[in-house]
Amino acid sequence: MQKTVLVVDDEMHLRIFIGAVFETAGFKPVLARDGEDGLNKARAQKPDLVSLDLMMPGEGGIRMFRELKADPKLKDVPVMIVSAVGGPTFEHALETLRAATGGPLPGPGAYVEKPPKPEALLAAAARLLDNG
Amino acid sequence: MDMDLLLVDDEEGIRTVLSLSLADAGYRVHTARTGEEALAVFDRVRPSLVLTDIKMPGMDGIELLERLKHRDPDVEVIMITGHGDIDLAIQSIQHEAADFVTKPINDAILGIALKRARERLDMRRRLRQYTTNLEQLVAEKTRELVRAERLAAAGQAAAGMAHAIKNIAGGLEGCIFLLEQGLRQDRRNYLEQGWEMLKSNVEKIKDLSLALLDYSRPEELRPRLVDPAGPLEEVAALMRPRAAELGVDFHLEKAPDLPQALLDPEAMHRCLLNLVVNALDACAEDQERRASCRVELRVEPESGGGVRYVVRDTGPGMDTQAMDMLFTLFFSTKGGAGTGLGLASSRKIVEQHGGALDVESAPGQGTAFFVRLPAPGVRAAGDKGKNPTI
Repeated sequence: MQKTVLVVDDEMHLRIFIGAVFETAGFKPVLARDGEDGLNKARAQKPDLVSLDLMMPGEGGIRMFRELKADPKLKDVPVMIVSAVGGPTFEHALETLRAATGGPLPGPGAYVEKPPKPEALLAAAARLLDNG
Repeated sequence: MDMDLLLVDDEEGIRTVLSLSLADAGYRVHTARTGEEALAVFDRVRPSLVLTDIKMPGMDGIELLERLKHRDPDVEVIMITGHGDIDLAIQSIQHEAADFVTKPINDAILGIALKRARERLDMRRRLRQYTTNLEQLVAEKTRELVRAERLAAAGQAAAGMAHAIKNIAGGLEGCIFLLEQGLRQDRRNYLEQGWEMLKSNVEKIKDLSLALLDYSRPEELRPRLVDPAGPLEEVAALMRPRAAELGVDFHLEKAPDLPQALLDPEAMHRCLLNLVVNALDACAEDQERRASCRVELRVEPESGGGVRYVVRDTGPGMDTQAMDMLFTLFFSTKGGAGTGLGLASSRKIVEQHGGALDVESAPGQGTAFFVRLPAPGVRAAGDKGKNPTI
């Protein structure tokens, strides 16, 4: 059955590109332009995978990541972070969030550096869905 | 030891006896009978040590001491005094004589006085050497630091540029992917999207190279006395359609009684244009509240005869982190859309005018930029003199 991937990125061209990469690999892409839009679409469509940008205007990707992990229906959906923010920086932000909320917060399943290459996106997706 | 010593005494007997014992102690002895002769010998030989009688016909020892110290403050002068000349001895010390010995001269006492004088000479010489070395060391280390700082700045700029280019290259790879897939699968929407993305990335490269040129151009300002409202009015006319397109409330206000300002109108135009484009971009960022956003341009007199431009927006504002990075080359709050060069080049233009570019901003409070220009002929406070006065 065709898997759905939710692509969240504020930059339109990148959103279209990432969506196209998944589409040509047989996924059904759903595009969202910020964290709020992303959460709404995640709740409505319950995707099999989320590709999430971190640095976005408004609430940003970290907030969306936290809300996904706090939602009982969505917390098991694997998330790959696609961002120009370095992996260690994101890990640090997660640590800070864990300390601030006191709750456990799992790391993302995969981390793809921007600008993303099609192979890197698809390899990460394959790995995350195998584990699921 | 090989040290020149000048012996001054009007009594030949004393000159002969002392010359012998001083030569025996290892000095190269030069003698003079009077103060005038002593100065002539001193100018020729430049001895470090002078031994002189106080009481002499003509120029006495005290006057000779003063003149010697005037010629060379470092020369060590030992005075020879008779019994009961203690007042003169004290006077000579006040004139910076090294020491005094009394007649009849005891060789041991003279030896000690000479030794102390030599030690002082030696100490001064070494101190001077250390100081010179220290100054050289400081100068050398300063040069190294400046070089390191320049390299660091150049490295940072290069890293920033590499990042900007990497992002554009990433975008172009995305285009290639879309165009290839579009051709392979005959999908028109991929072709159209790839084509749009290609155009946008070409636009980005163009912007980047133009901004780099703009920043690195060694700007020769051509300032003249003009109405300072001119450049701001031009920029407002240029950007008003863009504001209308975004639905942003756009205002230009010109204070009454504006003084003439000494500025380069073209350079100021570019500087203000950057600020106004930034203000509109900040408003555009927030799509929901864009319609209630306002951009205000003002030009007003400053105390002291200067002029102030204000570019204020009610956009999302910036946090302190963004504010700290604001003038850093290649830093942009606009993500991939900004070059990170605009503000740096605006500031360069303002500083070349002897002025200052300041910013006030807070998240949710909007942002205001202030361009302060000094009155014609007045340098602004904080201008460190690195730019030519205009």
